[in-house]
Amino acid sequence: MRRFIAAFLALFGLVSSRRYEALSRSLDDLKAAGAESKKKASQAIAQQRSLESELRRQSQLVAKLRGSLEKWKHYHDNVKVLRDRLAETEHELMVARDHLMAIEVKLDILEGAANVLDRRTRITTPQDQHESSARA
Amino acid sequence: MLVPDGGSSSAPTAVTPPVVSLVLTGRNDGYGGDFIARFFRSLRFNHQQLTARGIAYELVFVEWAPPSDARLIRDQIFDALPELDVAVCSWYVVDSRYQEVLSLNPRLQYLEFPAKNVGVRRARGRFVLTSNCDVYFGRRIFDALAAGTLEPRVLYRAPRHDLTLPAERAPLDWSVLEDPRNLAGPAHVLKPPYMGSATGDFVLLDRESFHEIGGFNEVYRVARIGIDRNILVKALSSGLRIAAIGGPVYHENHEGSYRLNPAAYAGRETEAPWGDRRWHSGGVSYVNPPTWGLSEAPVREIDDRVWYLDFSWAAMPQLVDLMRIVLPVARPGGPAPGHYVRKR
Repeated sequence: MRRFIAAFLALFGLVSSRRYEALSRSLDDLKAAGAESKKKASQAIAQQRSLESELRRQSQLVAKLRGSLEKWKHYHDNVKVLRDRLAETEHELMVARDHLMAIEVKLDILEGAANVLDRRTRITTPQDQHESSARA
Repeated sequence: MLVPDGGSSSAPTAVTPPVVSLVLTGRNDGYGGDFIARFFRSLRFNHQQLTARGIAYELVFVEWAPPSDARLIRDQIFDALPELDVAVCSWYVVDSRYQEVLSLNPRLQYLEFPAKNVGVRRARGRFVLTSNCDVYFGRRIFDALAAGTLEPRVLYRAPRHDLTLPAERAPLDWSVLEDPRNLAGPAHVLKPPYMGSATGDFVLLDRESFHEIGGFNEVYRVARIGIDRNILVKALSSGLRIAAIGGPVYHENHEGSYRLNPAAYAGRETEAPWGDRRWHSGGVSYVNPPTWGLSEAPVREIDDRVWYLDFSWAAMPQLVDLMRIVLPVARPGGPAPGHYVRKR
């Protein structure tokens, strides 16, 4: 009977108050859900924009780091060259010091010989011989 | 000219060479105060130990430029040490003009290493041990000589223990030498690769190798100090090995010793009686002339086994021979030759 009345009322576009209330609640729920979805969509769009921005920034950073990496590679190559040069220079310095030692030792000998010869000359050449030579 | 039975004589000697020639040099000039008493005391001890172990040895003594107004040591030694056999002693008295003419530094009163070279050049032993007149050899040294385990092409070194010995001149024995209370300071330790430190007190090398390297440096006659260390550079550069013999020598402290006050001439090194200690003895090598050890000096026998080296310009090396100062050779596994030390 209740089903019959409902079907009859439906012919005129009418529903029972209970049904009406239920439908109204459903409608409200759907509206709320729609609003929520809209809000989430907005948030997702905002997040997407943020991510896109971040992506751009990261891409720039990657490009910048690639540039730095190239610089570092270049720098590393330079360091290697400099290290090789340093080792070479150290070796040359060592050789130079070895030669310097030998030269200083030889200078000692020369200085000693000069002093010895000077003494011998002073002993063997009398003072008056100088004077007589100067007068002549 | 060497001597009738000299090592480099063209005619091989029929006499079996001794195991070791002990090469010493000195003169009767009171060096270090009471030089002769210290010498006789140490020689008596070393002779007793060598004889007790049956080690055939030869004493090669070079009486370098002796003062004309003092008795030769040779004229006193057999009175002081009657147990010493004349036949084991080869005595060389060197004309004092060699000291005068060889010196490149008037402050050096005694060219110790050219003097030792005179002995090394004429030594006949299979091994040649150069030392000093106040050095007592430790028991490990006598053991090594007696055992016959010494190797050719190895320069043996021994650390020096400086001793303050009792004033009384009683004969010394091991209990005195090895008593740590008699040590005048911390015992020296030899450090590879050079094993330097008081090298002049103990250089032991086979005769052939000693001749190969041409003895001690006699090109650099400007200093006495460091010439002993310089032979270690030369030895390594020549491919010889340097090894510790395993025990010490003992040295009796005395006045005037470099060891007692090495910094006595700090700031005025050129005035030191031993020469400038800062010379590059660890950084250069040398090639002595073929006449090293005054091998061309005219020799005449003035007494039984006593030879006098007359002065002759022909025996003299060049006053200056700079090409004979060379850089040492670095050898694989060996030390880097020398470290530069700023002098001036």
